[in-house]
Amino acid sequence: MIFNIQRFSTHDGDGIRTVIFYKGCPLRCLWCSNPESQSFDYSVMYDKSRCKNFGDCIKADNKTITRIKNNGIQINRELIKKPEKLKNVCASKALTISGESKSVDELLAEIEKDTPFYQNGGGVTLSGGEPLSHGEELITLLQKLKERNINVNIETSLYVNWRNVDKCIGLVNTFLVDLKHTDKDKFKSFTQGDAGLVMDNLIKLTDSETHVIVRIPVIPGFNFSENEMKQIIEFVTSLKNVNEIHFLPYHTYGVEKYKMLGLNYTFGNKKQIQDSELLPFIQYAQSKGLKTKIGG
Amino acid sequence: MTTITERISDLREKVLSTKPSVCTERAKFYTQIYQENEDKPVIIKRALALEKTLKEMTIYIENGGLIVGNQSSQHRAAPIFPEYAVDWLPREMDELDKRPGDAFLITEEHKKEVLEIAKWWKGKVLWDRGRALMSEELRDLQDSDIIKATGNLTSGDAHIAVDFNKMLSLGLSGYLQEIKHYHQRVKRFEQEGVKKDHFYTALTISIKAFRTFIRRYRKLALSISENEVNKKRKKELLLIADNCEIIAEKPPQNFYQALQLVYFVQLVLQIESNGHSVSLGRMDQYLFPFYQNDKIKGNVSENFASELLENMWIKLISINKIRPWSHTRFSAGGPLYQNVTIGGQTTDGLDAVNDLSFLILDSVGKMKLTQPNLSVRFHKNINNNFLLECIRVIEKGFGMPSFNNDEIVIPGLIKIGVEPEDAYNYSAIGCIEIAVPGKWGYRCTGMSFLNIMRVLLASLYNGLDKQSGKVFKKGIGNFSEFNSFSDLFKAWQHQIKYYTRKTVEIDTAVDTALEENVPDILCSAFVDSCISRGKTIKEGGSKYDYISGLQVGIANLGNSLAAIKKLVFEEKKLTKKQLLTALENNFEGKEGEKIRQLLLNFAPKYGNDDDYVDILLKDAYMEFINELENYHTTRYNRGPIGCKYFAGTSSISANVPSGAVVPATPDGRKAYTPVAEGSSPSSGTDILGPTAVFKSVSKLPTEKIMGGVLLNQKLSPATIQKDSDKQKLISIIRTFFEDLKGWHVQYNIVSKETLLAAKKNPEKYRDLIVRVAGYSAFFTTLSPDTQDDIIARTEHSLNY
Repeated sequence: MIFNIQRFSTHDGDGIRTVIFYKGCPLRCLWCSNPESQSFDYSVMYDKSRCKNFGDCIKADNKTITRIKNNGIQINRELIKKPEKLKNVCASKALTISGESKSVDELLAEIEKDTPFYQNGGGVTLSGGEPLSHGEELITLLQKLKERNINVNIETSLYVNWRNVDKCIGLVNTFLVDLKHTDKDKFKSFTQGDAGLVMDNLIKLTDSETHVIVRIPVIPGFNFSENEMKQIIEFVTSLKNVNEIHFLPYHTYGVEKYKMLGLNYTFGNKKQIQDSELLPFIQYAQSKGLKTKIGG
Repeated sequence: MTTITERISDLREKVLSTKPSVCTERAKFYTQIYQENEDKPVIIKRALALEKTLKEMTIYIENGGLIVGNQSSQHRAAPIFPEYAVDWLPREMDELDKRPGDAFLITEEHKKEVLEIAKWWKGKVLWDRGRALMSEELRDLQDSDIIKATGNLTSGDAHIAVDFNKMLSLGLSGYLQEIKHYHQRVKRFEQEGVKKDHFYTALTISIKAFRTFIRRYRKLALSISENEVNKKRKKELLLIADNCEIIAEKPPQNFYQALQLVYFVQLVLQIESNGHSVSLGRMDQYLFPFYQNDKIKGNVSENFASELLENMWIKLISINKIRPWSHTRFSAGGPLYQNVTIGGQTTDGLDAVNDLSFLILDSVGKMKLTQPNLSVRFHKNINNNFLLECIRVIEKGFGMPSFNNDEIVIPGLIKIGVEPEDAYNYSAIGCIEIAVPGKWGYRCTGMSFLNIMRVLLASLYNGLDKQSGKVFKKGIGNFSEFNSFSDLFKAWQHQIKYYTRKTVEIDTAVDTALEENVPDILCSAFVDSCISRGKTIKEGGSKYDYISGLQVGIANLGNSLAAIKKLVFEEKKLTKKQLLTALENNFEGKEGEKIRQLLLNFAPKYGNDDDYVDILLKDAYMEFINELENYHTTRYNRGPIGCKYFAGTSSISANVPSGAVVPATPDGRKAYTPVAEGSSPSSGTDILGPTAVFKSVSKLPTEKIMGGVLLNQKLSPATIQKDSDKQKLISIIRTFFEDLKGWHVQYNIVSKETLLAAKKNPEKYRDLIVRVAGYSAFFTTLSPDTQDDIIARTEHSLNY
């Protein structure tokens, strides 16, 4: 299942790219800017600013959706059995269902729409969610992309079984690996994952001589300190075949989406990080011989 | 990049801070000559009137100015062209300074003069003549706003570039010799000969008057220099005098003189005629030999050449026009669309970019003015550094340069019968339209405006145009009785065929009136082959003649058809009655709004690379294009190659007034709001970004739309800050042009916030320039409606 296809992406690898966002991620970082990407199932999203109180959603499912005093609706998401049935009920698209099942061929057709623009190193980027949690279908897609000579990047947290990674080697041009932290406790307290697995996988992946770019989300209160960042950069330096590192500064563009999903954004009121604040890390990484970039 | 000198900065500030006004000098001269010479043929009257104007009008040289020549008695004062249309002026003159956009000052004294002048012209002007030549049906169609040709009848023709190559190599005396040669051979015993005799006489009077005009600046420069204490300035004035002395007679001998002559030509064409889009052609090509020669000899520095060019651009913007409000709304921002084209290929197919191309680009970027309208001809081997420089100028956010694509234009021209050597030498005219400079007649585009959404609505109501309450063409049935989408499509075919024919009928009446009432003399002299044929351009003097009207509301047509096909006939989400009721009620009420939301959100939209709507639009548009191919222009069999029509979408800001007369439409657009501009997607409906837009646009039958496929894209400044982002922009532009064979693209690099702020505090944003459609305008001079339309256009982000 995917939740978005974004054409003309210019910051998820070289050239002009189409990004396929897979739905479902086991890591669930607290600062996640795409909260609809976490669930492997459909997500019910409600954008109150678009709601015109037509009431068609209530007609479709009056057990779980109720009106709030003629202005907007309340949704009891846990009780919705078949969210996909709500997909096209709202004319103004205030209520939408995130998540779409697409066959490999359908995805290919979407990807190939922008083939003329994939010159100068462009292509497709598989992102998410966690694309590597998507098993056999992903492999089929990768094989067909390779047949068509379309450049493939995968954006992954590597928090998956090594088998899932291994199968992709040789089919992917570049892995963009999100490395959030090297401190296991810290990693654990901000995500549902395990830094050990991530680092093990990263070592194996880089040993395989695949092209890997490491990307570090710079998150206030999590890894945004000189010491922690040094530790992370040093780990990257110890890897074979990695010569490029990207810093992805924390932003709050996704906060509205938590509301739409009926979720609380528990990460709190943190300020967005300005590019200039990354300067010391960039200098440190460069001193270790790494190529750097802000924002990918 | 060179810096801006104090002189240029002063001149620029002066032209920007001068409020437009009205000048009555030309009107008085023309009226007097017409009154005194009622017995003479119109062409002689016009020659004498131009002569009197050029000899007697107020002239001045600005402090510090290097390029001389003025259009009227004051900076940015618009002359009046009473012979085209003038009765609107007494009607509108008390409101001129209160116009929501493009306001003009007019003194009480001038108002009195205008009243006097207008009284004499009553019933004698082009507008009256054009209307009289039309059948009642055609007048009704015009009055109902379905087909508009007001602009041509009130403000003339133009949309032309003359032969500057010939001008620079022949000089004005050369023209006189050529005219004399043909004049001597006229057969006065033939009826044609009588006309030709008058034509050559008029040419001789006009060119001699032009020379006198130039010499008046020589005298003026000399007399100012006598009292000039600043030695440097004194020298400059003497140089100006020398230059004028030379170019009044002979071909220019250096870059400065060449540029001054080009400006004089550009200027007098706009004193002679009231049309806009008088364009300068491929300036980097015809001026390059002069520049190169001067550089080699050490006669001109890059700095000075740049200063001259910058002065030239300031002079271009000092030329002004006043138009009736009815027409002004179609061309917001009051520009004259004086196009300069650079780049492209040589006739051998090599990259034509040279040092002067860079210098012109750079100087236009430094001036950040609305004139000239700068176009770059793209081709696959174009210098990549030049493209990068283009993006850097685009980044300054005044909408220039725009790109035209050789890869589609040149083969397209050759296919319709243009000789390859001429095709490789095409230039942009006005906004994005194209012609071969010096060899093409007027109006390669810009004839009548067809409001295609009115035609679509008439297809729903058995031919009834609800807006006017009239049935212009009885239909084949009502939408409520249609059983399938193909019934609707048949109704569209039936209606559009009729309206296509009517646009040509209107154009024919207009062209006849223009030919008979306001023949241009100088403009004809400078276009191949008017002199040898003894004909004005309108009589068939030009080598080529292809024209187009403008079809307004392209995206709305596709989106409306797709919405009906999908939601009514395929998915049956809407009944025919529901749709009709919602349209008639302008989507009022909750039910109406819900239907509007369905139309907006659940039907495919042009601009998202969706074949469903893109192909439907193409098919519907082809019905117009196929019908158009049956007709010829008034010059057919009178000399020029072609004399055919093609389609065109470079509809300037006509999408706003055109939308203002269209009730609600099936694409979910509310009544009287703007329709989509040019070939761009409808505001806010292109949600997949620029590559998808490029794909959709490229599915239009581009090679049949030689009147221009206008595409506006807006980017916020942050999106192209980094060089790597600029390269990515270049990369998609290359794909659009090389692989998808797009026609044109231009960029507004400005944030929505800036526009909103500028709307609120216009005085703080006086120099904020935006692309309105095929050209740039000062944002604060636009009407609030047009401002809102610009703000609403989708802002694509290259980031995330």
